Amino acid sequence: MSLLELRDVEVEYTRQGRPPVRAVAGASLSVEGGQVVGLVGETGCGKSTLARAAVGLVAPTAGSVWFEGRQIRPLGRRARSRADARLQMVFQNPFSSLNPRRRVGDQIADAIAILGLVSAGRRRERVAQLLERVGLPGSAAQRFPHQYSGGQRQRIAIARALAAEPSVLVLDEPLSSLDASAQAQVANLLKNLARELNVGLLLISHDLAIVRHIADVVAVMYLGLVVETAPSRRLWSAPLHPYTEALIEAIPRSDGKGWLPESLPGEVPDPARPPSGCRFHPRCPYAFDRCVSEPPALSAVAPKRAVACWLHEAGGVERAPSTFARMTRAVSGVGDQVDGV
Amino acid sequence: MTPLLSVRGLRVGLPTAAGMVTVVDGVDYEVAPGQVFGIAGESGSGKTISVLALLDLLPDGAVVEGTATFEGTDLLRLGRRAMRDVRGQQIAMVFQDPMTSLHPMMPIGRQLTEHIRFHLGASNRAARTRAIELLEEVRIPDAAGALTAYPHQFSGGMRQRIAIAIALACRPRVLIADEPTTALDVTVQAGILRLLDRLRRQSHLSVILITHDLGVMSSIADSLTVMYAGRVVESGPTAEVLGAPRHPYTAGLLAALPHPEAPEDTPLVSITGAPPSAQSRPGGCAFHPRCSFAVQSCVTDIPPLVPVGDERRLACPVDPLVVPT
Repeated sequence: MSLLELRDVEVEYTRQGRPPVRAVAGASLSVEGGQVVGLVGETGCGKSTLARAAVGLVAPTAGSVWFEGRQIRPLGRRARSRADARLQMVFQNPFSSLNPRRRVGDQIADAIAILGLVSAGRRRERVAQLLERVGLPGSAAQRFPHQYSGGQRQRIAIARALAAEPSVLVLDEPLSSLDASAQAQVANLLKNLARELNVGLLLISHDLAIVRHIADVVAVMYLGLVVETAPSRRLWSAPLHPYTEALIEAIPRSDGKGWLPESLPGEVPDPARPPSGCRFHPRCPYAFDRCVSEPPALSAVAPKRAVACWLHEAGGVERAPSTFARMTRAVSGVGDQVDGV
Repeated sequence: MTPLLSVRGLRVGLPTAAGMVTVVDGVDYEVAPGQVFGIAGESGSGKTISVLALLDLLPDGAVVEGTATFEGTDLLRLGRRAMRDVRGQQIAMVFQDPMTSLHPMMPIGRQLTEHIRFHLGASNRAARTRAIELLEEVRIPDAAGALTAYPHQFSGGMRQRIAIAIALACRPRVLIADEPTTALDVTVQAGILRLLDRLRRQSHLSVILITHDLGVMSSIADSLTVMYAGRVVESGPTAEVLGAPRHPYTAGLLAALPHPEAPEDTPLVSITGAPPSAQSRPGGCAFHPRCSFAVQSCVTDIPPLVPVGDERRLACPVDPLVVPT
C-alpha cells in the first residue's frame, strides 16, 4: 500500500437553489515515499479540491483517503494526531500563507513545539537547520516574511511544512506565483527534498512543462476526473489522451522561432452540468459516437500507463491520438472560437 | 521602416517613503507598425512602469524624463486633454487581470459602447453595431446576446477577449498588452496569442507585449528588449535574442525554463540570488552580483547599451556568450 492513497474520491459542493457541483467526480491517485506525483489540469478541473481532500481540508462525499495505512478524516475541532501531522500542505501564495507579523523562526518552530519533536533547548538549532535545508541562512529565523522575495517566502513555507517531519507533502501550485529563475530554484529544491529526505510529493500545478521536469509520475485531470496517468517522460513524448496532447501543444516554446501554440477549441464546461459520455468529447477532435454516449473508464493500457479514452483498448498498442484519423464532425459554435492563423 | 513610436532615454522616478526612487533608468525602444514588440523581465524590472509613463498613468509625484515620439508628437510633453485623446483612441491598453480591469457591475455592452460614444461621438445605435462587430472580431460566441451579460458570466479567457475588444473599440494604432495571458491557462493563452497575432496581421496593429514568459514572447514578438533593474540589458529581433542570447541575464532566464528534451534528473539551471528591489539596486551593472562572468568594471561602471550587429544591442562589456564566427 502506498503512503498516500486516494480511492475514488468524490467531492460535491452544494449550492443554495442551484444544482450541486461535483468538483471531483471519482479520482484515484497514490504517492509513494520519495516519489514526486504531478497533478495537472486547467482552472476548474478540480485539482485543488482534490489536494484539499487529500489532506482532509474538505470532506469527500464518496471514496476515501488513506495515509500510512490509516484513513484520513476531515479536519474537525480536535487537533490532528501526531501521526497524521506527517501529512503536510504548502499553499500557492506564500504572501498569504505566512503570518506577516511573526518572525520566520517562530512560525517554523510552532510545528516543532506542538508536536514536541525536539526539546525546547534545541528548537532554535532545528529551525536553523530547516532553513538551511531549503537554502536560506539560519539567521533568516530572526527576520519577517516581508523581508524576503516570493521565491524565498515559498522556501520558508516549505521549511515550515518540513518542521513537522512529514512523509508526504501536498503542494498546491507552489511555483505559479514565482518568476522564472525563482521557479527553477524552488523546483530543484522540491526534487532534492523528495530524493534526499524520501518525502513523497503531490504537486498540483497547471504548468505541465515544470511538472514534467520534477515529477516522476503525472496525472492529468479534466473536469473532475483523472483522464491519464503516466511516467512524466512518457506522458510528454507520447501522450495518449487527446486532452493531454492538447495541453502539450498549447505550451509556448522559448526558442525564438515564432512558433504559435495550438489553442484548444471551446471552454471547460460547467462542472454542475458535465457533458454526457466522455466529458472531453465536445472539445475533442477525435470524438466519435461512443464518446457521446458512454463515459470511458481509466484503464491500464500499458505498464504504469492508464488512460480514459475510447481510442485506446486495454492491452493495445500505445498510440498517440494524432495517429488516429481525425473524425470529421460538425461541432457548431466550437470551432468559431479557435483563432486560426 | 520608420517607427510608429520611438522612446529615447526614458527615466522614471517614483516617490516612496524613502524618497525618490529611479525605477526606470534610461530606456530606449522603437515600435514599428504592425509589429509585436516585447518587453521581457522579472517582476520589479520596471517593464510596466516604462509603458505606463507613456500614457501618463503613473501615480502623482512621478518624475518622467526623456522623449516618446508618437507620430511626430512627444507623448511625455502632452497636456491632459491631448493625452486623453491619445489614450484609448491612439494607444490602448490591456491589463493582466480581466477580472479587475472590467467593471463587475456593468453589462459588457455598456463598457464597450460608453467608450465608443465618448471618443468617437457615435450614436447609441452606431455604438451598439460597433460593439457587436468588436465582440465578433475577438470571437465571442453570440455577440448580440453577450452585450447584456456581466463579466462574471464569462470565463477568464473570454473576459480577456472582451478587454481586448474594449481596447480595440476606437481602432488604436498601438495596443499595450501587460501580461495579457499570465492569469490564464495554457490552452486559453494559446487562443489569446493567436488572436493578437491575427489582429496585427489583419488590422496592422502594433502591439507592445509585456511579459515575463519568454515562451509567450517567442510565439508572437518580432523584436524584444530584456529589462533588468530598470535598464535594458539586451534587445533585438526575437529569433536572435532568444535563439542566441548574449547577455548573461537573458541566457540565465532561458536556462531556467524547463526544456522538453532535457535528459532525466537534470536540475533546472537557475540564476543565483534574487532580483534587487528598486531601492537597493547595486552600482555598476545591476546584474553583477548574480553574474558568473562579472569583471571588475562591472562593479563600478554602468555598461552602455551598444549596437552589436544590425539590430541588436547589448549592455555587457564582457560579452561572454558571443558565438565565434
